[in-house]
Amino acid sequence: MLSIAKRALLGISLFALTGGGAYAQEATFVHSVRDIGAPSYNIIKATKLNIATSLIYDRMVIQDTDQSFHPQLATSWASAPDGMSWTFKLRANVKFHDGEAFNAKTIEWWIPKFKGTENSYLIDAIEKVEIIDDLTVKLVMKNPDPNLLYNMASVFMGVPSPKAYEALGDKYGVAGAVGTGPFKLESFVVGQQTVLLRNDAYNTASPLSKNQGPAKIKKLTLREIPDESTAFLELKTGGVDMLLGVPTDFLPRLQAEKGMKVVTIPGTEVYYMPINASVEPFTDAKVREAAALAVNQKEILTSLFNGVGLEANNFLISSLLEAKIDPKLNISFNPERAKALLTEAGWTPGPNGVRTKDGKPLQVKLWTQNGTEFKRVTEVIQAQLKAVGVAADITVLDPATINAQYRKKTDHQLAVRAYSWDNADILDWFFSGKRLGYPNVSMWNDPKAEALNETAMKTSRTPEERVTNFRAYHEYIMSQFVFAPIYQPVTSFAYSEAKLSVPAVVRGPRLQSQTFLDIEMKK
Amino acid sequence: MTGFLIKRLLSLIPVFLAVSLVIFMIVHLVPGDPIENLLQIGSSPEQREIVAASYGLDKPLLLQYLIWLQKAFRGDLGEAIILRQPVAALIAQNLPHSLILGVSALTFSTLVGVTAGALAAIFRDSWVDRAVMATILLGSTIPSFWLGLLMILLFAVQLGWFPVSGAKTWSALVLPILTIGIAGVALVARVTRVSMGDVARRDFVIMLHAKGLPAWRIQLRHVLRHALLPVLTILSLRIGWILGGAVTVEYVFARPGLGTLLITSLNQRDYPVVQGCLLMLAMAVMLGTLLGDVLQAAMDPRLRERMR
Repeated sequence: MLSIAKRALLGISLFALTGGGAYAQEATFVHSVRDIGAPSYNIIKATKLNIATSLIYDRMVIQDTDQSFHPQLATSWASAPDGMSWTFKLRANVKFHDGEAFNAKTIEWWIPKFKGTENSYLIDAIEKVEIIDDLTVKLVMKNPDPNLLYNMASVFMGVPSPKAYEALGDKYGVAGAVGTGPFKLESFVVGQQTVLLRNDAYNTASPLSKNQGPAKIKKLTLREIPDESTAFLELKTGGVDMLLGVPTDFLPRLQAEKGMKVVTIPGTEVYYMPINASVEPFTDAKVREAAALAVNQKEILTSLFNGVGLEANNFLISSLLEAKIDPKLNISFNPERAKALLTEAGWTPGPNGVRTKDGKPLQVKLWTQNGTEFKRVTEVIQAQLKAVGVAADITVLDPATINAQYRKKTDHQLAVRAYSWDNADILDWFFSGKRLGYPNVSMWNDPKAEALNETAMKTSRTPEERVTNFRAYHEYIMSQFVFAPIYQPVTSFAYSEAKLSVPAVVRGPRLQSQTFLDIEMKK
Repeated sequence: MTGFLIKRLLSLIPVFLAVSLVIFMIVHLVPGDPIENLLQIGSSPEQREIVAASYGLDKPLLLQYLIWLQKAFRGDLGEAIILRQPVAALIAQNLPHSLILGVSALTFSTLVGVTAGALAAIFRDSWVDRAVMATILLGSTIPSFWLGLLMILLFAVQLGWFPVSGAKTWSALVLPILTIGIAGVALVARVTRVSMGDVARRDFVIMLHAKGLPAWRIQLRHVLRHALLPVLTILSLRIGWILGGAVTVEYVFARPGLGTLLITSLNQRDYPVVQGCLLMLAMAVMLGTLLGDVLQAAMDPRLRERMR
């Protein structure tokens, strides 16, 4: 009886071990939690895409870590001096995975497809596409858009095969997705996994990849594992080869594991504390400034995040040129000034360390959303505010609910939030007077800010002009203390050193096709 | 029996309508909406309104409910706003995974639970009884997500017998079944033990003992058989639970299923999917209860009489 049980267990174990059916050059990666739940690879209509998108589709241009632009499907490009047209030279001999040719006609079909979709903002400034020759197109603009190259480099502007797109109709993106990228979509189950097969005819690698030919991995499975502990244990037991996202609190454990390599690259996220300028006591600029100066960025970075990441001192990620503002306008911890400002504003020290004015305590609401990191940061900020005499009551809300609560406009006073974006136009999204409540949680609506926003968003003709205009808008927002910057996380990924060889330098603002092309299986 | 069945089926119609109304209203009245997840950075408030209108979310709530109900009666649960696929297709994709896991876990908890409960009842107040009851107490109090992680650490990481997660192989099903099944074992064993205790005190059992039948035969052939009636009721009520109750286990083991679909859609406020999943779960509970009633009526003619 015992031997039967033993045999059964052995059988099950062997089945488990061989179940993966792994062969050389077959790798399994795990999506970062942020990428989980992408519903489709319909690149034109999707509002959420994951990392596999950059492997299925190539883009016209591609960005490096320093945000500079490099050729991919377009070999060169030029803007007219007045910004009213852009000419793109296209790469020759490029074929989609379905064998269709990529040329100027593809672009003529592709650009108008965005109209009427939630992604239409990407091409809003384009009036029409003119074909100059088979491999040259001219984009005639409605108005200058110095952000066009950034949009073209976005994963949302990967180029799909017109034939496949039209043939699959509504099923495109789930039943199939066809691009010119280094991998072909083999299968996709929403919320579970994406299986990609190498495109052996790949010839459109950007100069950012060392490998200019087809990818080194033959078959790539990208799994969606929502529980980070499970994902970690999968990597530890060799069930998967790479985790594309590692939460900060897992970093020390992963670094301690033998045979695992953890890589951190600059992130695109910023934690900040919006201050609702439309409600008391924050209608007073001095109180706003005091609340902003009470936040100790360094303490949060070292005590909560083990020093991994960067202090945030303004609203944008450090790699953006628009983040390089007048240093005097950056916001840093200054408790003495915070206390002095509160006293100046009439809030004097009161019982239990809470300041009072006309017998009323300086008690405010501090909102945040569910999630360990949010809760921890918020609790530390509560203590930091208390240190200057501000009593903050924390309310934790469900992420799907909190934005609707912000839209009530006057229910919140302070909040701890985070955003992920690598373009200065995020300033418009979070501070435009057109979006009060949410996304403009600070409820900041000021004529000068609106004028600077208008200039930055609509009148910039060249990339340089855009940087100058956004910098001016950014500096003005900083001067009004409508938020406190907190922290810039890094992006981390981890892999098995025994199985994978990954380039030492990650090219591009994120881990995408540029670097994937150079990843090799060791054995 | 047919009259009984028809009567029970008809009684489900008002329940279905009430449940569907409650589901629809709760889903829509919770703050937040799916448009939040659809809009890209850069979209204007006007674009928001256009998108809301395109999904019919600008219509009065009651009208939205009636449209949904009318379609649901025709088997059309609508189109997922975020996932952009027919809700029925999404449910059909995920239901088999939930069914396999749920039915296996239910079978496991029934077999082990009835055996453990019967042992505890037969050896009442002995060390066997105490050991079984202590294990049951432990099993029913450990949260399933923690139990799941413990199982992974022991059987996947330390012993390497099973995969950590996924649904690629049959072996990946073992740890999730154990994790869900253990809580079920506790319930079934407890009910079996109590029920066997009650039956054992009845007159016919005393008479069987007086007749000189062996004790083990009385316990297994007569007491256990009669004691299974409440166990059956508990099991039929768990049919709905096994479909949706595995949410945390599906999450920990990264398995597909209705629970995962429901949670993902709930986080994104994908109304049609949430409504469709909840309706499925409510129907499973209703049909499970009906099945329990029918089985009980089939086994106990007195019940049929009362329902006439």
